Amino acid sequence: MSIEVKDLSFRYGKIVALDGVTMKLGEGAVGLLGPNGAGKSTLLRILLGFLVPERGEGKVLGYDIRRDQAMIRQAVGYMPESDCFVAGMDAVTFTSYFGELSGMPRQEAMKRAHEVLFYVGLGEARYRLLDTYSAGMKQRLKLAQALVHDPKILFLDEPTSNLDPNGRTEILELIRDISTNKSIQVLLSSHILADIESLCASVVILNKGRLAAEGRMEDLRAIHYHLYELRIKGDGGPFRRDLESLGCRVDETEDRLIKVYMPEASDRMDIFRAASRTGVQMRYFVKSQTSLEDLFAGVVGVD
Amino acid sequence: MATIREKGYSHWDGKLGERRFPWWPITRTGIQLAFRKKRFKFVFAGSFVPAVVFLVGLYISERLEDFKSFLQGSDRLLNINPNYFKTYFTNDSLLFLIVLVLGFAAAGLIADDLKHNSLQLYFSRPLRKKDYLLGKMSVIFFFVLILTAVPGLLLLLFKLIFAGSFKFFLDYPWLPLSILCYSALLTVFFAFYVLFLSSLSKNTRYVTILVFMIYIFSDILFGILEGIFHKPGVALFSIKANLQQAGAFIFGQKLPFAVPAVWSFLILAGICVLSAAVLNRKIRSVEVIK
Repeated sequence: MSIEVKDLSFRYGKIVALDGVTMKLGEGAVGLLGPNGAGKSTLLRILLGFLVPERGEGKVLGYDIRRDQAMIRQAVGYMPESDCFVAGMDAVTFTSYFGELSGMPRQEAMKRAHEVLFYVGLGEARYRLLDTYSAGMKQRLKLAQALVHDPKILFLDEPTSNLDPNGRTEILELIRDISTNKSIQVLLSSHILADIESLCASVVILNKGRLAAEGRMEDLRAIHYHLYELRIKGDGGPFRRDLESLGCRVDETEDRLIKVYMPEASDRMDIFRAASRTGVQMRYFVKSQTSLEDLFAGVVGVD
Repeated sequence: MATIREKGYSHWDGKLGERRFPWWPITRTGIQLAFRKKRFKFVFAGSFVPAVVFLVGLYISERLEDFKSFLQGSDRLLNINPNYFKTYFTNDSLLFLIVLVLGFAAAGLIADDLKHNSLQLYFSRPLRKKDYLLGKMSVIFFFVLILTAVPGLLLLLFKLIFAGSFKFFLDYPWLPLSILCYSALLTVFFAFYVLFLSSLSKNTRYVTILVFMIYIFSDILFGILEGIFHKPGVALFSIKANLQQAGAFIFGQKLPFAVPAVWSFLILAGICVLSAAVLNRKIRSVEVIK
């Protein structure tokens, strides 16, 4: 296991940021999800060694998060969400500079900076001043500086924010290549669920400082519930309440599509029985593949 | 923009090491970035004018007979003793040039990092806060020492070369130590002073203005207060006057103001402590992930 935490707890004053989080993350790309204030940033801070947990323990690549913070930061590549660069530098100097700060010899860092910049598609622009870079180029640059020291794990914070569709596709393809072909584990924190869905085999969902769900995406989709999408004619209120009394979660979209998250043990015929009992006509009924969005909504309880 | 993945990713087969001086790349890069500014090069070159003038003074002092008609009785100014060195170190122009050089070269050291969010990149590396601050401070150390300790020691060396004997050194064996001590004091003070101001704003121009304004206005304030109260103690309000007091004390010369030198040392130390406290508060690695 590359990341392993046990009973991790942390609070800012009276506010509980993490409460007994236990998880194990293996190889490949892992998505880190959660609404604002769920504890994602606190978890990343603890994993990078900036915060010492109040309780619990953890290891990143076998390094203790309490004792071996410098080793962890040497082995991890971090791509922040916000634009960040050093004014007055070109991309080669910038990338090699952070390679050196990671512990690479100067000449090796310079050589490696060229390679990495070519890899992320900034080869032609590597001698341009960073102040003149576009948003997409800065995003690639952040990825380059995270990769320059050849980390074992990459922490990517909203890697596709501020990108146009083409740029987003290219960055996602790059991350996919890194996580699948280069044996670098990726921990991807993003609000764009589609990104996580397209990249990550497994996901960690935090909610209110607690671990809401963790595991392979397919397993998570299968274990918790079945999702049915339906349209009805008639008064939906009693129908909805009837389904909720059966343990289902019911959401309605703007175009009046009703999504029913039904516990795995329940029988789908119960939906029809409820419709019959409450006098509504079923106009459309389909068993849907649960998307990450559905999973997120189901687990976290937000639409 | 070029297409993505012009070349494939390959692993690096080297080994990451633990640096003995992790702050050194920060210092080296800070110095290099300063010299990339065109205007700075002129300012930096110009800041050696006082050293050149004092060097010429040294040369003339050893050949007073040759320059007698030229000096017209002002040769008493060229009496080379520790006061000559004190005058070099504490003259208004050198202190102002140091402030000028730092205004150009060092005002953005932290301000630029705050503006461009680069703190999070630094602290996601195996770098501690003290490494970061030491790296930034060392940029200032470099520029202040190159304007103080280096010319000071060279002036001493040239004095011996021009005189052709070690007599001057034997007369004042403590002088190199005074040069180093006062250079160190200036270096440490200006490092804290400039970094403190640099951490207060994300705008380098504001910081540059602050660096000048506080230095100059503290002296103007001293002038106004002295005009009103006619008391030498008001010299303590001036950064420049405090530095000159400390300089005179370290070189064993008469103090320019009738105030105990210890007060000036305390004020300079107080500014450093205040700066350190603010820097410690402003530079927080825990804010790396926002």
